[in-house]
Amino acid sequence: MISFDKVSKQYISGQCALASVSFEIDKGQMAFVTGHSGAGKSTLLKLVLATEKCSSGHVVVNGTDLNHIRKREIPFFRRRIGMVFQDHQLLNDRSVADNVALPLDISGFSRSDARRRVRAALDKVGLLGKEKQFPAALSGGEQQRVGIARAVVNRPSIILADEPTGNLDPELSMETMEVFEQFKNVGVSLLIASHDISLINRMDCRTLILNGGALIGDTGHGELS
Amino acid sequence: MFFSPLSSTMTVIAIAGALLLPSLLFAFNTNITTLLAEFQNNARIVLYLTRDISDSQALEVSNNLLTSNAIDSADFISNEEALLSFSEAAGFSQIVADLEANPLPASIVITPNLAGLAGLDQLAVRLDQMPEVELVQVDSLWLRRLAAISELIVLAARALGLIVLLCLCFIIGNTVRSHIENRRDEIKIIKLVGGTHSYIARPFLYTGLFYGLLGGLLASLLQATIFLSFRDPLNEIFNLYDSSFTLPLLAPAMLITLAFSGALIGWLAAIISAYRYINAIST
Repeated sequence: MISFDKVSKQYISGQCALASVSFEIDKGQMAFVTGHSGAGKSTLLKLVLATEKCSSGHVVVNGTDLNHIRKREIPFFRRRIGMVFQDHQLLNDRSVADNVALPLDISGFSRSDARRRVRAALDKVGLLGKEKQFPAALSGGEQQRVGIARAVVNRPSIILADEPTGNLDPELSMETMEVFEQFKNVGVSLLIASHDISLINRMDCRTLILNGGALIGDTGHGELS
Repeated sequence: MFFSPLSSTMTVIAIAGALLLPSLLFAFNTNITTLLAEFQNNARIVLYLTRDISDSQALEVSNNLLTSNAIDSADFISNEEALLSFSEAAGFSQIVADLEANPLPASIVITPNLAGLAGLDQLAVRLDQMPEVELVQVDSLWLRRLAAISELIVLAARALGLIVLLCLCFIIGNTVRSHIENRRDEIKIIKLVGGTHSYIARPFLYTGLFYGLLGGLLASLLQATIFLSFRDPLNEIFNLYDSSFTLPLLAPAMLITLAFSGALIGWLAAIISAYRYINAIST
């Protein structure tokens, strides 16, 4: 689960990305984060992934206080989080299967075990036939889905997604959301940054609204307005 | 794992060249030391004894000298023996027959060992100070010089070895750095997905080890080639000095040492460089 307690983030340049943001996401909860560009959505995700450290307040993820996490603990911390990047971030010199298998390879899975899981993950996103292809041969939407498969292959306890439906048509977007729902139902916490308002409305899900770094709305199961 | 065949080849050649220099010096010096040991028999110090010493006293002195740790052998030659061998030498028999008294002194011929050879001057001075010794004649100055040069070469080889070590670290470290920089984006992704530094570094360590190994093998090939071309002239020289010594073409020990050192240095240099630059990639 994810817990933000009066978290602020100010960059060295003086830019204030987040201002005293507080919220909690439990197990089996899914929440959107929305707001205009620069409102702080990406910063929020970066803080959860321990890519950045907050300037004040506490970020507690999976029971770990990220103010006190040591540098060499971070890789192991990140293995329990599945991250879907905005620009998919695939390795271009590896096949789709190898890309999806990356988290498993890092964690020391054997090839045969990994292969099963990779197939299952690709099946979930509807790309089972494209295992052996290389990212360059896929469409933008397909690359995005490979990224999602990679994020879920290691059965993380938290899934973070930065504009996961950016390249996808409405039908594929809904299918992706269905995959996320499945994970929600087995106890995974999900935090999805998106400015796809129509999708958010369709999903009717808890939504955190950011404006200029401040949390101005927390609809759904949240606490405030 | 490789940049391009051309730049990889250049790196391997650079590594081979760097390894070759101390290796050649070392091999050269090993040969000189072996030669020295052989020529050691030709090195002599002759002690001409004073007139008033008796044969038995002289023999005792000779035996005492044997106990020194700088001396291999000490042979006493009485003045009668000296006169006899003098007369047997070409054309001197008549002159000797005409002599009234034996003008030749008794002598002790000393063969110093290798340790004695290095400190020949001091040895000669010590011997000169003995009351029974009238004159010290030191032979084979050139051998002494050779021994001194040999020591100098060892020193140079060691210093060069150290410089080479630094050069190799730089060459391989730089190569690894380039490889890492090339894969910067990839490394970022792997870090974000939870890869540790050692996971990321592993392929680069193999790169360093491989380059080092190839460099070492090339170095031994080059060294064998150099030995091959020097072989005939050198063996000729050894022959002229009545030595049975011949230059070895390719000692397996040399090949293994060079390959192993190359691989080891390559691996170590890669470790230092890889962790440094992987660390520098921020996330």
